[in-house]
Amino acid sequence: MTANNIVEFRQVTKTFNVGREDEFTAIRDITFAIEDLHGHGEFISVLGPSGSGKSTILRLLAGLEPQHPPTSGQVLVSGVPVLGPGADRGMVFQDYTSFDNRTVLDNVAFGLECRGVSKTERYSKAREWIHRVGLNVASDGGKYPHELSGGMRQRVAIARTLILHPRIILMDEPFGALDPHNRYQMQDLLVTLWREVQATVFFVTHSIEEAVYLGDRVFILSRSPGTILHQIEVPAPVRPAAEMQREAEFQEKVFRIRDILEDLESVKKNQDATVT
Amino acid sequence: MSEPSNGFRLFGLRTEIPRWLSATAGLFTVVASAALWWWTTRGVGEERILLYSQLPSIAETIEYFPNLWEADSPERHLLHNTLVSLKRVILGFGLALLVGIPLGVAAGCFAIIRSILAPLILFGRNIPIAALTALVFALFGTGELEKVMFIFIACVAFILSDTISSIQDVGERYVETALTLGATRLQIVFKVLVPLAMPMVFNSLRVLFGLAFGYIMLVEIIQESGGAGGLGYLLNMARRRSRPEIMVIIILTIPIVAWLIDQVLFVVQCWLFRWKYGREAENSGAFRLSRSILSLFWRPANSNSKAPA
Ligand SMILES: Nc1ncnc2c1ncn2[C@@H]1O[C@H](COP(=O)(O)OP(=O)(O)OP(=O)(O)O)[C@@H](O)[C@H]1O
Ligand SMILES: [Mg+2]
Repeated sequence: MTANNIVEFRQVTKTFNVGREDEFTAIRDITFAIEDLHGHGEFISVLGPSGSGKSTILRLLAGLEPQHPPTSGQVLVSGVPVLGPGADRGMVFQDYTSFDNRTVLDNVAFGLECRGVSKTERYSKAREWIHRVGLNVASDGGKYPHELSGGMRQRVAIARTLILHPRIILMDEPFGALDPHNRYQMQDLLVTLWREVQATVFFVTHSIEEAVYLGDRVFILSRSPGTILHQIEVPAPVRPAAEMQREAEFQEKVFRIRDILEDLESVKKNQDATVT
Repeated sequence: MSEPSNGFRLFGLRTEIPRWLSATAGLFTVVASAALWWWTTRGVGEERILLYSQLPSIAETIEYFPNLWEADSPERHLLHNTLVSLKRVILGFGLALLVGIPLGVAAGCFAIIRSILAPLILFGRNIPIAALTALVFALFGTGELEKVMFIFIACVAFILSDTISSIQDVGERYVETALTLGATRLQIVFKVLVPLAMPMVFNSLRVLFGLAFGYIMLVEIIQESGGAGGLGYLLNMARRRSRPEIMVIIILTIPIVAWLIDQVLFVVQCWLFRWKYGREAENSGAFRLSRSILSLFWRPANSNSKAPA
Protein backbone atom coordinates (compact mmCIF):
# COMPACT_ATOMS: atom_id res chain seq x y z
CA MET A 1 0.00 0.00 0.00
CA THR A 2 2.60 2.53 1.14
CA ALA A 3 4.92 1.81 -1.76
CA ASN A 4 2.16 2.85 -4.13
CA ASN A 5 2.02 6.35 -2.73
CA ILE A 6 4.38 8.88 -4.25
CA VAL A 7 3.70 11.21 -1.32
CA GLU A 8 2.24 10.38 2.04
CA PHE A 9 1.81 12.44 5.21
CA ARG A 10 1.04 10.42 8.32
CA GLN A 11 -0.28 12.51 11.17
CA VAL A 12 2.34 15.15 10.61
CA THR A 13 2.57 17.87 13.21
CA LYS A 14 5.08 20.72 13.18
CA THR A 15 5.63 22.78 16.27
CA PHE A 16 8.18 25.56 16.12
CA ASN A 17 10.29 26.54 19.13
CA VAL A 18 9.29 23.51 21.17
CA GLY A 19 9.52 24.11 24.90
CA ARG A 20 9.94 27.83 24.59
CA GLU A 21 7.56 30.57 25.45
CA ASP A 22 6.86 31.29 21.79
CA GLU A 23 6.08 27.65 21.01
CA PHE A 24 3.81 27.56 17.98
CA THR A 25 2.07 24.71 16.21
CA ALA A 26 1.88 25.50 12.51
CA ILE A 27 0.24 22.30 11.27
CA ARG A 28 -1.45 19.54 13.22
CA ASP A 29 -2.17 15.92 12.36
CA ILE A 30 -1.99 16.28 8.63
CA THR A 31 -2.68 13.01 6.89
CA PHE A 32 -3.06 12.46 3.17
CA ALA A 33 -1.70 10.31 0.37
CA ILE A 34 -1.07 10.88 -3.30
CA GLU A 35 -1.16 7.66 -5.28
CA ASP A 36 1.63 6.92 -7.70
CA LEU A 37 -0.28 6.43 -10.93
CA HIS A 38 1.83 5.15 -13.76
CA GLY A 39 2.34 7.82 -16.39
CA HIS A 40 0.19 10.36 -14.61
CA GLY A 41 1.38 12.83 -12.03
CA GLU A 42 -1.32 14.44 -9.97
CA PHE A 43 -1.60 18.22 -9.67
CA ILE A 44 -2.48 19.29 -6.15
CA SER A 45 -3.41 22.90 -5.49
CA VAL A 46 -3.14 24.06 -1.90
CA LEU A 47 -5.34 26.87 -0.62
CA GLY A 48 -5.76 28.23 2.87
CA PRO A 49 -5.70 31.39 4.94
CA SER A 50 -2.39 33.15 5.46
CA GLY A 51 -0.33 31.37 8.10
CA SER A 52 -2.25 28.13 7.77
CA GLY A 53 0.90 26.15 7.06
CA LYS A 54 0.94 25.85 3.26
CA SER A 55 4.62 26.69 2.96
CA THR A 56 5.32 24.48 5.95
CA ILE A 57 3.87 21.47 4.13
CA LEU A 58 5.89 22.18 1.00
CA ARG A 59 9.11 22.69 2.87
CA LEU A 60 8.58 19.53 4.87
CA LEU A 61 8.35 17.70 1.56
CA ALA A 62 11.40 19.48 0.22
CA GLY A 63 13.32 18.62 3.38
CA LEU A 64 14.25 22.24 4.08
CA GLU A 65 14.98 23.43 7.60
CA PRO A 66 13.62 24.63 9.97
CA GLN A 67 10.29 23.10 8.88
CA HIS A 68 12.05 19.77 8.37
CA PRO A 69 12.04 17.50 10.33
CA PRO A 70 8.41 17.24 11.53
CA THR A 71 7.83 17.34 15.27
CA SER A 72 5.82 14.16 15.04
CA GLY A 73 4.45 11.96 12.29
CA GLN A 74 6.04 10.90 9.04
CA VAL A 75 6.63 12.55 5.69
CA LEU A 76 7.11 9.82 3.10
CA VAL A 77 8.14 10.05 -0.53
CA SER A 78 7.71 6.75 -2.39
CA GLY A 79 7.38 5.10 1.00
CA VAL A 80 10.70 6.42 2.33
CA PRO A 81 10.91 9.16 4.99
CA VAL A 82 12.29 12.48 3.75
CA LEU A 83 15.74 13.01 5.25
CA GLY A 84 16.73 16.25 3.56
CA PRO A 85 16.59 18.17 0.31
CA GLY A 86 17.24 16.47 -3.02
CA ALA A 87 16.90 17.02 -6.74
CA ASP A 88 14.06 14.49 -6.93
CA ARG A 89 11.89 17.19 -5.35
CA GLY A 90 12.28 20.43 -7.28
CA MET A 91 11.08 23.68 -5.77
CA VAL A 92 10.07 27.00 -7.29
CA PHE A 93 9.77 29.91 -4.87
CA GLN A 94 7.73 33.07 -5.12
CA ASP A 95 10.73 35.36 -4.86
CA TYR A 96 13.14 35.33 -7.73
CA THR A 97 16.04 33.08 -6.90
CA SER A 98 18.01 32.96 -10.14
CA PHE A 99 21.71 33.01 -9.36
CA ASP A 100 22.64 36.59 -10.24
CA ASN A 101 26.17 35.70 -11.27
CA ARG A 102 25.02 33.18 -13.88
CA THR A 103 23.55 33.70 -17.29
CA VAL A 104 20.17 32.18 -18.07
CA LEU A 105 21.96 29.28 -19.73
CA ASP A 106 24.16 28.64 -16.69
CA ASN A 107 21.23 29.04 -14.33
CA VAL A 108 19.24 26.40 -16.16
CA ALA A 109 22.28 24.13 -16.35
CA PHE A 110 23.08 24.52 -12.62
CA GLY A 111 21.61 21.23 -11.44
CA LEU A 112 23.31 19.25 -14.20
CA GLU A 113 26.57 21.02 -13.44
CA CYS A 114 26.28 19.87 -9.83
CA ARG A 115 25.78 16.33 -11.08
CA GLY A 116 29.01 16.57 -13.07
CA VAL A 117 27.38 16.46 -16.52
CA SER A 118 29.80 17.57 -19.24
CA LYS A 119 29.60 21.11 -20.50
CA THR A 120 28.40 20.32 -24.03
CA GLU A 121 25.73 17.98 -22.79
CA ARG A 122 24.36 20.22 -20.08
CA TYR A 123 24.33 23.25 -22.37
CA SER A 124 22.46 21.41 -25.09
CA LYS A 125 19.88 20.23 -22.54
CA ALA A 126 19.67 23.71 -21.06
CA ARG A 127 19.06 25.25 -24.49
CA GLU A 128 16.28 22.77 -25.07
CA TRP A 129 14.63 23.72 -21.78
CA ILE A 130 15.06 27.44 -22.29
CA HIS A 131 13.16 26.96 -25.52
CA ARG A 132 10.50 24.83 -23.86
CA VAL A 133 9.65 27.43 -21.24
CA GLY A 134 9.13 29.97 -23.98
CA LEU A 135 12.36 31.93 -23.82
CA ASN A 136 14.55 32.70 -26.79
CA VAL A 137 17.77 30.70 -26.67
CA ALA A 138 19.73 33.09 -28.85
CA SER A 139 18.67 36.40 -27.31
CA ASP A 140 17.89 35.41 -23.71
CA GLY A 141 20.34 32.59 -23.09
CA GLY A 142 23.27 34.92 -22.46
CA LYS A 143 21.38 37.41 -20.30
CA TYR A 144 21.93 37.86 -16.59
CA PRO A 145 18.97 37.74 -14.18
CA HIS A 146 18.96 41.50 -13.58
CA GLU A 147 18.16 41.95 -17.25
CA LEU A 148 15.03 39.78 -17.05
CA SER A 149 11.41 40.57 -16.19
CA GLY A 150 9.64 38.76 -13.35
CA GLY A 151 7.85 36.40 -15.73
CA MET A 152 11.09 35.54 -17.49
CA ARG A 153 12.79 34.82 -14.19
CA GLN A 154 10.07 32.40 -13.18
CA ARG A 155 10.42 30.70 -16.57
CA VAL A 156 14.11 30.25 -15.80
CA ALA A 157 13.23 28.88 -12.37
CA ILE A 158 10.82 26.38 -13.92
CA ALA A 159 13.32 25.36 -16.60
CA ARG A 160 16.14 24.75 -14.17
CA THR A 161 13.84 22.62 -12.00
CA LEU A 162 12.30 20.55 -14.79
CA ILE A 163 15.62 19.89 -16.53
CA LEU A 164 16.39 17.53 -13.63
CA HIS A 165 13.17 15.52 -14.19
CA PRO A 166 12.01 15.61 -10.56
CA ARG A 167 9.23 13.20 -9.63
CA ILE A 168 7.75 15.89 -7.41
CA ILE A 169 7.58 19.61 -8.10
CA LEU A 170 6.87 22.00 -5.23
CA MET A 171 5.69 25.47 -6.15
CA ASP A 172 5.12 28.09 -3.46
CA GLU A 173 3.10 30.93 -4.98
CA PRO A 174 5.36 30.98 -8.03
CA PHE A 175 3.20 33.43 -9.96
CA GLY A 176 2.23 35.55 -6.96
CA ALA A 177 4.23 38.55 -8.12
CA LEU A 178 3.10 38.51 -11.76
CA ASP A 179 0.45 40.65 -13.44
CA PRO A 180 -2.77 38.89 -14.57
CA HIS A 181 -1.82 38.64 -18.24
CA ASN A 182 1.58 37.14 -17.47
CA ARG A 183 -0.10 34.90 -14.96
CA TYR A 184 -2.43 33.35 -17.53
CA GLN A 185 0.50 32.76 -19.84
CA MET A 186 2.47 31.08 -17.11
CA GLN A 187 -0.51 28.93 -16.15
CA ASP A 188 -0.88 27.72 -19.73
CA LEU A 189 2.83 27.04 -19.92
CA LEU A 190 2.75 25.10 -16.66
CA VAL A 191 -0.17 22.95 -17.85
CA THR A 192 1.66 22.11 -21.08
CA LEU A 193 4.91 21.26 -19.33
CA TRP A 194 3.20 19.30 -16.59
CA ARG A 195 1.46 17.11 -19.18
CA GLU A 196 4.84 16.41 -20.74
CA VAL A 197 6.81 15.62 -17.61
CA GLN A 198 4.01 13.93 -15.62
CA ALA A 199 5.38 14.82 -12.21
CA THR A 200 3.36 15.17 -9.04
CA VAL A 201 2.91 18.89 -8.42
CA PHE A 202 2.13 20.70 -5.17
CA PHE A 203 1.09 24.20 -6.01
CA VAL A 204 0.44 26.77 -3.28
CA THR A 205 -1.49 29.86 -4.30
CA HIS A 206 -3.74 32.57 -2.94
CA SER A 207 -5.73 32.72 -6.17
CA ILE A 208 -8.73 30.43 -6.07
CA GLU A 209 -9.06 30.65 -9.86
CA GLU A 210 -5.49 29.52 -10.28
CA ALA A 211 -5.96 26.64 -7.85
CA VAL A 212 -9.14 25.43 -9.51
CA TYR A 213 -7.82 25.85 -13.04
CA LEU A 214 -4.51 24.08 -12.56
CA GLY A 215 -5.38 21.41 -10.04
CA ASP A 216 -6.72 17.89 -10.23
CA ARG A 217 -7.48 18.24 -6.56
CA VAL A 218 -7.62 21.28 -4.30
CA PHE A 219 -6.54 20.95 -0.68
CA ILE A 220 -8.07 23.49 1.66
CA LEU A 221 -6.29 24.08 4.92
CA SER A 222 -7.89 25.36 8.09
CA ARG A 223 -6.61 28.34 10.01
CA SER A 224 -3.53 27.59 12.06
CA PRO A 225 -2.76 25.09 13.34
CA GLY A 226 -3.46 23.90 9.83
CA THR A 227 -5.21 20.66 9.00
CA ILE A 228 -6.63 19.60 5.68
CA LEU A 229 -10.35 20.46 5.84
CA HIS A 230 -11.39 19.58 2.31
CA GLN A 231 -10.02 17.78 -0.69
CA ILE A 232 -12.04 18.88 -3.70
CA GLU A 233 -11.74 17.26 -7.11
CA VAL A 234 -11.83 19.83 -9.91
CA PRO A 235 -11.96 19.49 -13.72
CA ALA A 236 -8.74 19.34 -15.69
CA PRO A 237 -7.45 22.45 -17.50
CA VAL A 238 -8.61 21.51 -20.98
CA ARG A 239 -8.72 25.01 -22.48
CA PRO A 240 -6.45 28.06 -22.21
CA ALA A 241 -6.45 29.80 -18.83
CA ALA A 242 -7.86 33.14 -19.95
CA GLU A 243 -10.75 31.38 -21.72
CA MET A 244 -11.67 28.66 -19.28
CA GLN A 245 -11.53 30.82 -16.18
CA ARG A 246 -14.33 32.98 -17.61
CA GLU A 247 -16.82 30.15 -18.00
CA ALA A 248 -19.85 29.91 -15.70
CA GLU A 249 -19.21 26.33 -14.65
CA PHE A 250 -15.69 27.24 -13.65
CA GLN A 251 -16.80 30.35 -11.78
CA GLU A 252 -19.30 28.29 -9.83
CA LYS A 253 -16.56 26.00 -8.54
CA VAL A 254 -14.54 29.04 -7.59
CA PHE A 255 -17.44 30.58 -5.66
CA ARG A 256 -18.03 27.37 -3.77
CA ILE A 257 -14.45 27.33 -2.60
CA ARG A 258 -14.49 31.03 -1.87
CA ASP A 259 -17.45 30.47 0.48
CA ILE A 260 -15.52 27.80 2.32
CA LEU A 261 -12.50 30.06 2.72
CA GLU A 262 -14.60 33.02 3.79
CA ASP A 263 -16.24 30.87 6.43
CA LEU A 264 -12.79 30.10 7.75
CA GLU A 265 -11.95 33.79 7.89
CA SER A 266 -15.22 34.78 9.57
CA VAL A 267 -14.80 32.12 12.25
CA LYS A 268 -11.49 33.74 12.95
CA LYS A 269 -13.07 37.17 13.16
CA ASN A 270 -15.77 35.96 15.54
CA GLN A 271 -13.14 34.38 17.72
CA ASP A 272 -11.08 37.56 17.69
CA ALA A 273 -14.22 39.49 18.64
CA THR A 274 -14.97 37.27 21.64
CA VAL A 275 -11.38 37.51 22.82
CA THR A 276 -11.47 41.31 22.96
CA MET B 1 5.87 70.26 -12.11
CA SER B 2 6.78 69.56 -15.74
CA GLU B 3 10.44 69.20 -16.45
CA PRO B 4 12.17 70.83 -19.39
CA SER B 5 11.87 68.42 -22.29
CA ASN B 6 15.55 67.61 -22.72
CA GLY B 7 16.72 69.20 -19.51
CA PHE B 8 17.17 68.08 -15.95
CA ARG B 9 16.33 69.28 -12.49
CA LEU B 10 19.15 70.83 -10.53
CA PHE B 11 17.95 69.22 -7.30
CA GLY B 12 16.18 66.18 -8.74
CA LEU B 13 15.99 63.62 -5.96
CA ARG B 14 18.33 60.72 -6.79
CA THR B 15 18.51 61.70 -10.44
CA GLU B 16 21.60 62.18 -12.55
CA ILE B 17 22.89 65.53 -13.75
CA PRO B 18 24.72 66.00 -17.07
CA ARG B 19 28.38 65.13 -17.20
CA TRP B 20 29.45 68.70 -18.01
CA LEU B 21 27.62 70.07 -14.97
CA SER B 22 29.08 67.41 -12.74
CA ALA B 23 32.57 68.24 -13.98
CA THR B 24 32.00 71.98 -13.61
CA ALA B 25 30.72 71.56 -10.06
CA GLY B 26 33.81 69.55 -9.16
CA LEU B 27 36.08 72.10 -10.81
CA PHE B 28 34.39 74.85 -8.82
CA THR B 29 35.40 73.18 -5.56
CA VAL B 30 38.99 72.81 -6.77
CA VAL B 31 39.17 76.46 -7.79
CA ALA B 32 37.56 77.61 -4.55
CA SER B 33 40.02 75.58 -2.47
CA ALA B 34 42.93 76.91 -4.48
CA ALA B 35 41.63 80.45 -4.01
CA LEU B 36 41.43 79.93 -0.26
CA TRP B 37 44.96 78.55 -0.26
CA TRP B 38 46.16 81.50 -2.31
CA TRP B 39 44.38 84.04 -0.11
CA THR B 40 45.65 82.67 3.21
CA THR B 41 49.24 82.55 1.96
CA ARG B 42 49.45 85.76 -0.08
CA GLY B 43 51.89 88.52 0.73
CA VAL B 44 55.34 88.20 2.24
CA GLY B 45 56.81 87.46 5.65
CA GLU B 46 54.69 88.39 8.64
CA GLU B 47 51.90 89.90 6.50
CA ARG B 48 50.68 86.47 5.54
CA ILE B 49 47.72 84.94 7.32
CA LEU B 50 49.57 81.63 7.33
CA LEU B 51 53.34 81.82 7.50
CA TYR B 52 55.64 79.96 5.17
CA SER B 53 56.49 77.50 7.93
CA GLN B 54 52.79 76.87 8.46
CA LEU B 55 51.68 76.51 4.87
CA PRO B 56 53.77 77.36 1.81
CA SER B 57 51.97 79.24 -0.94
CA ILE B 58 50.94 77.77 -4.26
CA ALA B 59 53.82 79.48 -6.04
CA GLU B 60 56.36 78.26 -3.49
CA THR B 61 55.07 74.71 -3.77
CA ILE B 62 55.18 74.69 -7.55
CA GLU B 63 58.64 76.18 -7.44
CA TYR B 64 59.88 73.42 -5.19
CA PHE B 65 58.22 70.61 -7.11
CA PRO B 66 61.08 70.01 -9.61
CA ASN B 67 63.35 69.23 -6.63
CA LEU B 68 61.25 66.16 -6.04
CA TRP B 69 60.64 65.33 -9.66
CA GLU B 70 64.08 65.85 -11.15
CA ALA B 71 66.01 64.74 -8.08
CA ASP B 72 69.32 63.10 -8.99
CA SER B 73 69.03 60.43 -6.34
CA PRO B 74 65.93 58.21 -6.51
CA GLU B 75 65.70 58.55 -2.74
CA ARG B 76 64.36 62.03 -3.12
CA HIS B 77 62.20 61.35 -6.11
CA LEU B 78 58.46 61.65 -5.53
CA LEU B 79 57.51 58.93 -8.01
CA HIS B 80 60.14 56.51 -6.75
CA ASN B 81 59.03 56.92 -3.15
CA THR B 82 55.38 56.61 -4.08
CA LEU B 83 56.15 53.32 -5.78
CA VAL B 84 58.15 52.11 -2.78
CA SER B 85 55.20 52.81 -0.49
CA LEU B 86 52.80 51.25 -2.96
CA LYS B 87 54.86 48.10 -3.21
CA ARG B 88 54.80 47.66 0.57
CA VAL B 89 51.06 48.18 0.72
CA ILE B 90 50.48 45.73 -2.13
CA LEU B 91 52.64 43.07 -0.47
CA GLY B 92 51.07 43.45 2.96
CA PHE B 93 47.58 43.72 1.55
CA GLY B 94 48.09 40.77 -0.78
CA LEU B 95 49.23 38.67 2.15
CA ALA B 96 46.17 39.77 4.11
CA LEU B 97 43.97 38.75 1.18
CA LEU B 98 45.57 35.32 0.95
CA VAL B 99 44.87 34.72 4.62
CA GLY B 100 41.69 36.73 5.13
CA ILE B 101 39.52 35.68 2.23
CA PRO B 102 39.76 31.87 2.47
CA LEU B 103 39.43 32.03 6.26
CA GLY B 104 36.57 34.51 5.96
CA VAL B 105 34.73 32.27 3.51
CA ALA B 106 35.16 29.29 5.81
CA ALA B 107 34.03 31.29 8.82
CA GLY B 108 31.09 32.76 6.89
CA CYS B 109 29.91 29.26 6.04
CA PHE B 110 30.54 27.43 9.29
CA ALA B 111 29.61 28.86 12.68
CA ILE B 112 32.24 26.83 14.50
CA ILE B 113 35.09 28.44 12.55
CA ARG B 114 33.45 31.81 13.10
CA SER B 115 33.44 31.24 16.85
CA ILE B 116 37.08 30.19 16.86
CA LEU B 117 38.12 33.31 14.97
CA ALA B 118 35.83 35.75 16.79
CA PRO B 119 38.32 36.77 19.52
CA LEU B 120 41.10 37.31 16.96
CA ILE B 121 38.83 39.46 14.81
CA LEU B 122 37.69 41.50 17.78
CA PHE B 123 41.30 42.05 18.79
CA GLY B 124 42.51 42.75 15.28
CA ARG B 125 39.80 45.22 14.38
CA ASN B 126 40.33 47.26 17.51
CA ILE B 127 44.07 47.30 17.64
CA PRO B 128 45.14 50.96 17.94
CA ILE B 129 47.17 51.86 14.90
CA ALA B 130 49.66 53.87 16.93
CA ALA B 131 50.27 50.89 19.20
CA LEU B 132 50.61 48.62 16.20
CA THR B 133 53.48 50.72 14.83
CA ALA B 134 55.29 50.19 18.12
CA LEU B 135 54.52 46.49 18.13
CA VAL B 136 55.79 45.75 14.63
CA PHE B 137 58.86 47.88 15.34
CA ALA B 138 59.58 45.79 18.42
CA LEU B 139 58.93 42.53 16.60
CA PHE B 140 60.50 43.12 13.22
CA GLY B 141 62.77 46.14 13.54
CA THR B 142 62.77 48.69 10.74
CA GLY B 143 63.17 46.56 7.63
CA GLU B 144 60.79 45.79 4.79
CA LEU B 145 59.29 42.92 6.76
CA GLU B 146 58.17 45.31 9.47
CA LYS B 147 56.30 47.49 6.97
CA VAL B 148 54.67 44.60 5.17
CA MET B 149 53.63 43.00 8.45
CA PHE B 150 52.24 46.32 9.65
CA ILE B 151 49.88 46.52 6.69
CA PHE B 152 49.09 42.83 6.99
CA ILE B 153 48.10 43.04 10.66
CA ALA B 154 46.24 46.29 10.19
CA CYS B 155 44.11 44.87 7.36
CA VAL B 156 43.64 41.18 7.87
CA ALA B 157 41.00 41.34 10.60
CA PHE B 158 38.91 43.77 8.55
CA ILE B 159 39.17 41.61 5.45
CA LEU B 160 38.17 38.62 7.52
CA SER B 161 35.13 40.21 9.09
CA ASP B 162 33.97 41.83 5.85
CA THR B 163 34.25 38.51 4.02
CA ILE B 164 32.31 36.79 6.77
CA SER B 165 29.46 39.28 6.68
CA SER B 166 29.35 39.28 2.86
CA ILE B 167 28.98 35.50 2.85
CA GLN B 168 26.35 35.66 5.56
CA ASP B 169 24.43 38.33 3.67
CA VAL B 170 23.81 36.05 0.69
CA GLY B 171 20.09 35.27 0.86
CA GLU B 172 19.12 31.93 2.37
CA ARG B 173 16.78 31.47 -0.60
CA TYR B 174 19.76 30.94 -2.92
CA VAL B 175 21.07 28.21 -0.66
CA GLU B 176 17.66 26.57 -0.49
CA THR B 177 17.27 26.75 -4.26
CA ALA B 178 20.65 25.12 -4.75
CA LEU B 179 19.74 22.42 -2.22
CA THR B 180 16.55 21.54 -4.05
CA LEU B 181 18.58 21.37 -7.28
CA GLY B 182 20.77 18.72 -5.71
CA ALA B 183 23.87 20.75 -4.86
CA THR B 184 26.21 19.39 -2.19
CA ARG B 185 27.41 21.56 0.67
CA LEU B 186 30.77 22.10 -0.99
CA GLN B 187 29.09 23.01 -4.28
CA ILE B 188 26.91 25.52 -2.47
CA VAL B 189 29.99 27.15 -0.98
CA PHE B 190 31.88 27.45 -4.25
CA LYS B 191 29.10 27.80 -6.80
CA VAL B 192 26.65 29.93 -4.83
CA LEU B 193 27.96 31.63 -1.70
CA VAL B 194 31.43 32.65 -2.87
CA PRO B 195 30.45 34.03 -6.29
CA LEU B 196 27.46 35.93 -4.89
CA ALA B 197 29.46 37.38 -1.98
CA MET B 198 32.54 38.44 -3.93
CA PRO B 199 31.27 41.79 -5.24
CA MET B 200 30.56 42.87 -1.67
CA VAL B 201 33.96 41.67 -0.55
CA PHE B 202 35.60 43.54 -3.40
CA ASN B 203 33.80 46.74 -2.42
CA SER B 204 35.20 46.66 1.08
CA LEU B 205 38.64 45.75 -0.24
CA ARG B 206 38.65 48.93 -2.30
CA VAL B 207 37.94 51.00 0.79
CA LEU B 208 40.52 49.13 2.88
CA PHE B 209 43.23 49.43 0.27
CA GLY B 210 42.77 53.19 0.27
CA LEU B 211 43.11 53.24 4.07
CA ALA B 212 46.18 51.01 3.99
CA PHE B 213 47.84 53.34 1.53
CA GLY B 214 47.31 56.16 3.98
CA TYR B 215 48.58 54.09 6.94
CA ILE B 216 51.86 52.97 5.44
CA MET B 217 53.53 56.31 6.13
CA LEU B 218 53.06 55.80 9.85
CA VAL B 219 55.74 53.11 9.84
CA GLU B 220 57.89 54.70 7.16
CA ILE B 221 58.23 57.83 9.25
CA ILE B 222 59.72 56.00 12.27
CA GLN B 223 62.87 55.45 10.32
CA GLU B 224 65.92 56.12 12.52
CA SER B 225 68.42 56.81 9.78
CA GLY B 226 67.29 57.34 6.21
CA GLY B 227 67.61 55.10 3.23
CA ALA B 228 64.57 52.92 3.10
CA GLY B 229 62.45 55.26 1.02
CA GLY B 230 58.70 55.64 0.81
CA LEU B 231 56.44 58.64 1.18
CA GLY B 232 56.84 58.56 4.96
CA TYR B 233 60.58 58.85 4.49
CA LEU B 234 60.02 61.89 2.28
CA LEU B 235 57.87 63.43 5.00
CA ASN B 236 60.69 62.92 7.47
CA MET B 237 63.04 64.64 5.08
CA ALA B 238 60.63 67.57 4.86
CA ARG B 239 60.76 67.94 8.62
CA ARG B 240 64.53 67.62 8.87
CA ARG B 241 65.16 70.17 6.15
CA SER B 242 62.29 72.42 7.18
CA ARG B 243 60.76 72.18 3.70
CA PRO B 244 56.98 72.31 4.28
CA GLU B 245 56.50 72.20 0.48
CA ILE B 246 57.28 68.49 0.56
CA MET B 247 54.50 67.94 3.05
CA VAL B 248 52.02 69.81 0.89
CA ILE B 249 53.10 67.93 -2.23
CA ILE B 250 52.68 64.60 -0.49
CA ILE B 251 49.28 65.56 0.88
CA LEU B 252 48.23 66.43 -2.67
CA THR B 253 49.81 63.33 -4.19
CA ILE B 254 48.22 60.75 -1.93
CA PRO B 255 44.60 61.40 -2.89
CA ILE B 256 45.48 61.44 -6.58
CA VAL B 257 47.33 58.13 -6.34
CA ALA B 258 44.57 56.68 -4.15
CA TRP B 259 41.97 57.78 -6.70
CA LEU B 260 43.93 56.25 -9.56
CA ILE B 261 44.26 52.97 -7.68
CA ASP B 262 40.58 53.00 -6.87
CA GLN B 263 39.71 53.55 -10.52
CA VAL B 264 41.92 50.63 -11.51
CA LEU B 265 40.26 48.46 -8.87
CA PHE B 266 36.84 49.58 -10.03
CA VAL B 267 37.66 48.58 -13.60
CA VAL B 268 38.90 45.21 -12.38
CA GLN B 269 35.66 44.87 -10.42
CA CYS B 270 33.58 45.66 -13.50
CA TRP B 271 35.41 43.04 -15.53
CA LEU B 272 35.19 40.44 -12.80
CA PHE B 273 31.52 40.99 -12.02
CA ARG B 274 29.97 41.91 -15.35
CA TRP B 275 26.70 40.42 -14.12
CA LYS B 276 26.45 43.05 -11.42
CA TYR B 277 28.05 46.15 -12.83
CA GLY B 278 26.78 46.02 -16.42
CA ARG B 279 25.16 49.44 -16.28
CA GLU B 280 27.54 51.14 -13.87
CA ALA B 281 30.43 49.99 -16.01
CA GLU B 282 28.97 51.67 -19.08
CA ASN B 283 28.75 54.95 -17.17
CA SER B 284 32.33 54.82 -16.00
CA GLY B 285 34.90 56.61 -18.11
CA ALA B 286 37.65 54.45 -16.63
CA PHE B 287 35.86 51.30 -17.70
CA ARG B 288 35.29 52.47 -21.26
CA LEU B 289 38.92 53.54 -21.43
CA SER B 290 40.02 50.11 -20.29
CA ARG B 291 37.80 48.55 -22.92
CA SER B 292 39.19 50.64 -25.74
CA ILE B 293 42.74 49.88 -24.59
CA LEU B 294 41.91 46.20 -24.40
CA SER B 295 40.34 46.21 -27.83
CA LEU B 296 43.66 47.40 -29.27
CA PHE B 297 45.29 44.15 -28.21
CA TRP B 298 42.48 41.68 -28.14
CA ARG B 299 39.34 41.30 -30.15
CA PRO B 300 36.61 38.93 -29.05
CA ALA B 301 35.94 36.28 -31.70
CA ASN B 302 32.40 37.45 -32.46
CA SER B 303 33.40 41.01 -33.31
CA ASN B 304 35.75 39.61 -35.93
CA SER B 305 32.99 37.72 -37.61
CA LYS B 306 30.97 40.90 -37.94
CA ALA B 307 33.76 42.64 -39.85
CA PRO B 308 33.06 42.99 -43.57
CA ALA B 309 34.72 40.30 -45.64
N1 LIG C 1 10.71 29.29 11.45
C1 LIG C 1 9.55 29.54 12.07
N2 LIG C 1 9.50 29.77 13.39
C2 LIG C 1 8.32 30.01 14.01
N3 LIG C 1 7.14 30.05 13.40
C3 LIG C 1 7.10 29.84 12.08
C4 LIG C 1 8.29 29.56 11.34
N4 LIG C 1 7.97 29.39 10.04
C5 LIG C 1 6.63 29.54 9.99
N5 LIG C 1 6.11 29.79 11.21
C6 LIG C 1 4.69 30.00 11.52
O1 LIG C 1 3.97 28.89 11.06
C7 LIG C 1 2.74 29.30 10.50
C8 LIG C 1 2.58 28.70 9.14
O2 LIG C 1 3.55 29.28 8.29
P1 LIG C 1 3.53 29.05 6.74
O3 LIG C 1 4.66 29.85 6.19
O4 LIG C 1 3.54 27.61 6.44
O5 LIG C 1 2.15 29.69 6.32
P2 LIG C 1 1.53 29.87 4.88
O6 LIG C 1 0.25 29.12 4.85
O7 LIG C 1 2.52 29.54 3.84
O8 LIG C 1 1.21 31.42 4.88
P3 LIG C 1 1.27 32.45 3.67
O9 LIG C 1 0.02 32.22 2.89
O10 LIG C 1 1.26 33.77 4.34
O11 LIG C 1 2.52 32.17 2.90
C9 LIG C 1 2.74 30.81 10.49
O12 LIG C 1 1.89 31.26 11.51
C10 LIG C 1 4.15 31.20 10.79
O13 LIG C 1 4.19 32.35 11.59
MG1 LIG D 1 3.70 30.68 2.45
